[in-house]
Amino acid sequence: MSDSKPRVLVLAGDGINCESETAHAFSLAGFMPQIRHINDLVSERVSLDQLSGTFSVLALPGGFSFADHLTSGKVLALKIQHQLGWNLGLFADRGGLVLGVCNGFQALIRMGTFGKEISITQNASGRFINAWTKVSPSGTRCVWLKGVGSMDLPIRHGEGRIVFDQTRKTEVWGKMVRLGRNCLTYEDNPNGSDESLAGLCDSSGRIFGLMPHPEAFVRWSSHPEWTLQAGRASAPGQGAQLFENAFQEVRRGSNI
Amino acid sequence: MFCRIELATRPEFADPASDLLLRRLQLAHPEIAKCVRWMRVLPIAWVELPSSREEMIPAVVEIFWDRVLGWVFTGNLIPSAAGKHGGILDVMTGAPHRPGKFWALERRFRPGVTDTVARTTLEAFEIVLGRKLSDARAASGTLLLLEGPQLTEEMLARIARDILCNELIETWTLVSEQELQRNDRFHAERVKRDLPKVLTRGSAEIQHVSLEGVSDAQLERLSREKVWALSVPELRAIREHFSNAKVQDARKAKGLSTPTDVEIEVLAQTWSEHCKHKIFNAKIRYFEDTKAKAEWARDVAIPKVINSLFDQTIVGTTELLPKNWLISVFKDNAGIIAFDEEDAICLKVETHNTPSALDPYGGALTGIVGVNRDILGCGLGAKPIFNTDVFCVAPLDYQGVIPERLMHPRRILDGIRRGVEDGGNQSGIPTINGALVFDERYLGKPLVFVGSGGILPRVIEGRRTEVKEIRPGDRVCMVGGRIGKDGIHGATFSSLALDELSPLSAVQLGDPLTQKRMSDFLLEARDLGLIRCLTDNGAGGLSSSVGEMARFCGEKGGARVDVSLAKTKYPGLKPFELVVSESQERMTVAVSPDALPLFTTLADRRGVEVSDLGEFVDSGMFEILVEGKMVAALDLKFLHEGLPQLEMEGEWPGVVDPPKGISTRRFEFEAADALLSLLGSPNIASKEWMIRQYDHEVQGMSVIKPLHTVFTAHGANSGPNDAAVIKPKTNSSAGLAVGCGINPKLSDIDPFLMAQSAVDEAVRNVLCVGGEFGRPESVLALIDNFCWPDPQGDRLKTAWLVRACYGMQQAALALSAPLISGKDSMKNDFRGQCDGKPVTISVPPTLLITAIAKVRDVAQGRTADFKTPGDAIYLLGGKSFGLWGSEFERVQGVSQLPGFPRVGVPNWEEARRIYGWLGGEVGKEQSLLRSLHDVSDGGLLVAAVEGMLARGLGAYIKIPEATDAWEFCFGEGFHSFIATVADSDAEILEMELRQLGIPFKRLGSVTQREKLEVMWSPKEDQSVKSWSVPTKQLRVAWQKGGYWE
Repeated sequence: MSDSKPRVLVLAGDGINCESETAHAFSLAGFMPQIRHINDLVSERVSLDQLSGTFSVLALPGGFSFADHLTSGKVLALKIQHQLGWNLGLFADRGGLVLGVCNGFQALIRMGTFGKEISITQNASGRFINAWTKVSPSGTRCVWLKGVGSMDLPIRHGEGRIVFDQTRKTEVWGKMVRLGRNCLTYEDNPNGSDESLAGLCDSSGRIFGLMPHPEAFVRWSSHPEWTLQAGRASAPGQGAQLFENAFQEVRRGSNI
Repeated sequence: MFCRIELATRPEFADPASDLLLRRLQLAHPEIAKCVRWMRVLPIAWVELPSSREEMIPAVVEIFWDRVLGWVFTGNLIPSAAGKHGGILDVMTGAPHRPGKFWALERRFRPGVTDTVARTTLEAFEIVLGRKLSDARAASGTLLLLEGPQLTEEMLARIARDILCNELIETWTLVSEQELQRNDRFHAERVKRDLPKVLTRGSAEIQHVSLEGVSDAQLERLSREKVWALSVPELRAIREHFSNAKVQDARKAKGLSTPTDVEIEVLAQTWSEHCKHKIFNAKIRYFEDTKAKAEWARDVAIPKVINSLFDQTIVGTTELLPKNWLISVFKDNAGIIAFDEEDAICLKVETHNTPSALDPYGGALTGIVGVNRDILGCGLGAKPIFNTDVFCVAPLDYQGVIPERLMHPRRILDGIRRGVEDGGNQSGIPTINGALVFDERYLGKPLVFVGSGGILPRVIEGRRTEVKEIRPGDRVCMVGGRIGKDGIHGATFSSLALDELSPLSAVQLGDPLTQKRMSDFLLEARDLGLIRCLTDNGAGGLSSSVGEMARFCGEKGGARVDVSLAKTKYPGLKPFELVVSESQERMTVAVSPDALPLFTTLADRRGVEVSDLGEFVDSGMFEILVEGKMVAALDLKFLHEGLPQLEMEGEWPGVVDPPKGISTRRFEFEAADALLSLLGSPNIASKEWMIRQYDHEVQGMSVIKPLHTVFTAHGANSGPNDAAVIKPKTNSSAGLAVGCGINPKLSDIDPFLMAQSAVDEAVRNVLCVGGEFGRPESVLALIDNFCWPDPQGDRLKTAWLVRACYGMQQAALALSAPLISGKDSMKNDFRGQCDGKPVTISVPPTLLITAIAKVRDVAQGRTADFKTPGDAIYLLGGKSFGLWGSEFERVQGVSQLPGFPRVGVPNWEEARRIYGWLGGEVGKEQSLLRSLHDVSDGGLLVAAVEGMLARGLGAYIKIPEATDAWEFCFGEGFHSFIATVADSDAEILEMELRQLGIPFKRLGSVTQREKLEVMWSPKEDQSVKSWSVPTKQLRVAWQKGGYWE
């Protein structure tokens, strides 16, 4: 039975720390997640072919890879690029899905996944923020956000301000909208991101990264106001939809 | 080649790091801040790599250059990455005033200080260049660029010393505008000089310490000079041991004669107050004037001779409370209790006061990663799942003179907060509960309590995980970080008062990344069955960890290690330094010889270093070698049991009379202001600014958070919750409630009452959020952390300690809550100079109680916020409120107390009834409660306001007749809660409460009117009077904006 479940590779090691809850969120949606240490993937020389052949989804969880030294996600991005050498665009073209949450998203940005004219840096307040925030999907490109409405999700980061190349700001934003990459925005921009961006996807809509933590809201009792409706404690949380969408997408892909 | 790399943010982007620095400057030196018109922070890296220029250029570009955000300045190496003007001038163009007057402050680490950014930098180069760079060196630092025509060198030096650097671990240089533009600093020779290098002149030589025929005065001097912190009787015991003929014969056979410095150091560490808790184990004669006996202590007979407070009042308390869920108490690094059939929970709370006084950031960071290692080293190794933090500091607006070598409380708090933020956040462990206590007496030593909880499977591969067992022949492995000079004498040093001679080597910087890698590796190795036993390297370093673990081997125990096999940060460490260094991120692991190859291979794959130092044996001896030569051979029995018992005396003069109040204060005119000033008292005001900078939700277990939050169009409004609830297992709906209690202000009346208040508050807090209570299977456990002014040689402070212990014991027994772990810190005094005069500052006797309770189903969790207009507001308990010793007294001043002040006293029998109902032992209508919040600091109205804040609701409160309005509204006491229920449920609830004999009063209701309305009838007439304050105004007072940071 479990053999038929689609597999998710959840990356771990070097200071990544949300691998367990990320794996749990995927398994609730019907996946078979596998947490793998990046050093094992490197020493086994897992190629893109092997990745595509075994896994439907690659997840880069949140955490503090390399303690955020030399900017958040940077050294992890270098390690993935140099030591694994995976072309994530090709992985997506072959039907794979990629999720980067928080530190994983930062690493995706540093790898240039969402274009070279954007970057991510310290929150405008200069401080780490742990708070719940409302985010809304925009556009229809991102397969992870299909049919999803506004969500309450927690943010937990010090470097979440998405910035555009300032000399070509309008052009960058125009291109982003044209390609449908601006897939998730904050209602009250807590970190000062350009265009209130909370998440981005690539042009295929299959590679998705976001600063809020959907895996932290798969059970209603994680919501800061759940005690208002105590009967709902064990109901699914709003973040669960993303993982269910991924599951539907993978199922659809395998039926064609 | 050598290379200096400066990273600059383009002027069109904001630079939050410099904004924060400027804010810190404004708070510390507003007059200097006014002269700074602009500043920018540029991170610097210095590197020396065995690589060519051609190889280096693309690597630097790839690692450091974010083309969107900034530039990279490297002198002449990569001009294309350095902006239009090719360097610092490009940054200066961003300054608002041109031509300006520029300066820079360059900050570097001192040689030997842990530089984690530098280590990551080298890793990044290894990744990009695709090879190991064993001969490479790197350092990190910052260049702070400032502009302001009025800035003087003197002001810049103040900025460097008070804001930018901690001169214990960092150095700085002032760079003028001309120098900045000259680019000299990029030259290879300069970079070579700037890269820190540790120069040590140590050798493998050991020294012999002859104690024979040495006078007591000389012994005392020797102990002080060497930072052994051993007393004369202890040194005499050591001398006696070594002069024993049998011992001498055995030593001769090993080639040893007079004691070596290594041996005395090992004894000093093991026998330190920090490790052996000599005061808690002392024999104390206690005197008390029975005529002045406090009414609240009437039922407790404190013995005249106490043989170990630890045995009598801590272990003794738990022995009287047998619970089948207690798995391991007072044996291991942490207490272990059962969570369910499969898993156990481990708990430990530590203090890290002295290091945090010297280097607040490093001290607190080291504290938090250290206590997490306690959990990692508990049993067969538990996984940390939450942290707690409690800080006691002087008020942030302290205006007085700061004694030499001390720091302003704002700097202290800023540092310790950042330390715990980095330590917790980067380790992926949520900080779920804490407290902040302000008192001027914490100026001399801040108290930094850091707690950690972990989850441990009860059985792994057929082995019970709480059992610590080692077999002869098992290898002694040091895992994780390397040994350096940092943290030498931490254990003995923290066993002394802080003074001007405190050794600088006692300061260390934690490294969360190394620890995270080690911790992931150890848990993996544990599950593969590769670990026999482990413990952390904390205080005392290898001497303590190996010395402790040696006891678990066979019958007599023992270990034989060669410390020259340990990996070090740099060469030249002396043998005794290798043995006692407290360099961070290290664990000692016993590994069976069969498992060793797999263990080291896995470590290698996880990027974790292992040093195989030797083996555990069953000889009864702890033997230390250096390059094969024996340098220490200590009898384990003497090492652990040879310490002579300390003798102390305590005398309690009795309780002083309560202050006389002024009866003329008018409630109708002054109460609203009193409430607002209470809400704005830092002890009560919102800690949201701090809580939100800690990740309190990582690991996805969070159910009740430190704050309850409401989303509004204008961002979140928050109010405080009493304790945290987490759901540690995805496949179980059971939860854990974690809360704390601390009330040092009552120590000024009687530490007995202070301790009882801490226990009561901690228990109430976990009950508020849904903790269970009262059934035999109900899990409720306590952890005690005593932080005391030095009681040694002080009869009063000793009496305080005795009274606090017996007070705590009575409360714990009454509530059937066993103590499972704890820690004491007994030297919280500062002795130094202030304005040229000697000064001593001692902390008030402080006991932190951390409580943990099981929550049967997290769906029963409760928060403190009022939910719906129309809900009825109740006071549960609340029969004894007093203004003496309250926050009201502290804020208003003792001379301003109205009426006849008294102190709130406990009634434990009543407490059991109330808590039994709340905790599900009796009754069934508890589930009707829509909110629950304990009445503690500030009293009843503060508790009510805290329920109103988040949702912006109002409340109508009627003070019951025949009560003193001041005392009822602002008095503090025991066993009291504010609760709300739907109005339609009020009748059923009242019926049950009456049946069960639980004292309660209906106070009023939650309203839609956005204000607090208080009604009362003065005693003298029958009129009804009232006053009100808008909720918005209450919230503004509570948030205390501008005070915190």
